[in-house]
Amino acid sequence: MRAVLISIARAGASLALALTAVACGSPPELDKQLETLSSWTATMQLAREEHGEGAITTTYATQLRDGAQSALEETQKTIGPAAHSKVDSSYAAAALDSLRTAIRQLNAETGS
Amino acid sequence: MKKWGEVALGVVTSIGGFLEVGSIATSTQGGAEFGYRLAWVLLLGTLSLAFLMEMTGRLAAVSKRTYADLLRERFGYRFFLLPLVAVFAVSFLVLASEIGGVSIALQMATGISFPWWAVPVALLGWVLLWRGTFGIVEKGTALLGLVAIVFAVGALKLHPAWPAVGRGLLPWAPSENRARYWYLAVSILGASISPYLYLFYSAGAVEDEWTIEHLGVNRVTAGLGNLFGGVLAVAALIAAALVLAPRGIQVDRYEQIAMVLASPLGRAGFVLFLATLCITCFGSTLEIVLAIAYMLAQGFGWAWSENLKPGKDARFAMSYTVVILLAAVPIAIGMNPLALTNVSMVATAASLPVTVIPLLVLMNDGDILLNHTNGWPSNIALVIIALLSVVLLLAALPLQLLGGG
Repeated sequence: MRAVLISIARAGASLALALTAVACGSPPELDKQLETLSSWTATMQLAREEHGEGAITTTYATQLRDGAQSALEETQKTIGPAAHSKVDSSYAAAALDSLRTAIRQLNAETGS
Repeated sequence: MKKWGEVALGVVTSIGGFLEVGSIATSTQGGAEFGYRLAWVLLLGTLSLAFLMEMTGRLAAVSKRTYADLLRERFGYRFFLLPLVAVFAVSFLVLASEIGGVSIALQMATGISFPWWAVPVALLGWVLLWRGTFGIVEKGTALLGLVAIVFAVGALKLHPAWPAVGRGLLPWAPSENRARYWYLAVSILGASISPYLYLFYSAGAVEDEWTIEHLGVNRVTAGLGNLFGGVLAVAALIAAALVLAPRGIQVDRYEQIAMVLASPLGRAGFVLFLATLCITCFGSTLEIVLAIAYMLAQGFGWAWSENLKPGKDARFAMSYTVVILLAAVPIAIGMNPLALTNVSMVATAASLPVTVIPLLVLMNDGDILLNHTNGWPSNIALVIIALLSVVLLLAALPLQLLGGG
């Protein structure tokens, strides 16, 4: 019981801290965009596996691909200004390339 | 025997009616981004809703009046406008999200883009409300909603590490990504403790002509029904934690959620996910439209009952007609259903104080509840829920800005 109460108190304190501390800075823009690209790349890979096993329809896989394609196009426009160094730019280029490859592979799997 | 039948039906309808667009979206987002670590928020939300439903059901069974009726009578018309406006606004947003949920399920099944489905879905809902009875709306859709049990099957098939799930049921705070974590926590609570759920439940108790004899049924329905419903939401979180989180997949669009069941259950899981999303969101669409129309009718003193012919309660029927058609508009013009869902869940969480705090007064009013007023355990629970609702009100907007993504 005591442990639960301590956990609740900690959670409450952390929420208050989050509200004040996080307000002090803007979110890491490049990190967020790299996360989005990586998430869609993984989505494409999983969709390819599941389509190959017959678990999902081609209609649905195509919609996932469209989602990834629009995420790719949106990120292509905004990731440049968010990359502040050569290292950032190379990460961004690699992430974009991975997603392009994953989309191509899903297209090959679904025959579209 | 009849009473046990009512209990079973009540529990089943609560299970079938628990999952909807908000709980599916927020549970899977939570599981994908933080594993089991937000399961305790689902538990907190489920317990809070169970208490609120038991109390508003008891209020209706003893006084034969709905919670909205009593709010107006006890606090006056001016005060009543506050919950009326707040509940109307957030329920309208949630309603649009539910129509979005049905539309996106139909898009995933057919390939026809979701905006095209919004108006047909709203029209089908309107026809059912116009022609149907309360029993059809409440029990029919909730019984079909039992298809949501597929989330439990999927989660079991993925063989979660139960000790880790158990640890997830204890409150926890992350050391990084805190704004996003608490944003999802607030969204999950908004999805779990929607005011329309207990307003609809209270109006339903009056529609079903509950009396003091039904207090036992009320307690079991609110307790067990929500508990089992909460288990399904935890199952959705577990499935997302085991399918999406290890691959680093975050839920940016509804389309990504279907994979949480396609992975463990194959094509059957995919099809049943679409059926679950479609049926549960459609059921919630009908419940929310009715909850809004009930609140308006009870607030303005109009005749109301889903069991009456529309000609006998014309203003009530007109209310749900206008509301369901207007709610289709945001989806029909292409608004992102997932973004709309997330915003509406946070707004719902922020609106809770105006319907939760007055309950503290009503549940201790001996003139209304005779000798069925709250005991100290219920009052402690209600005070905790009221405090939680105030925290949610204060935290909702900053977290929407910082963690909304």
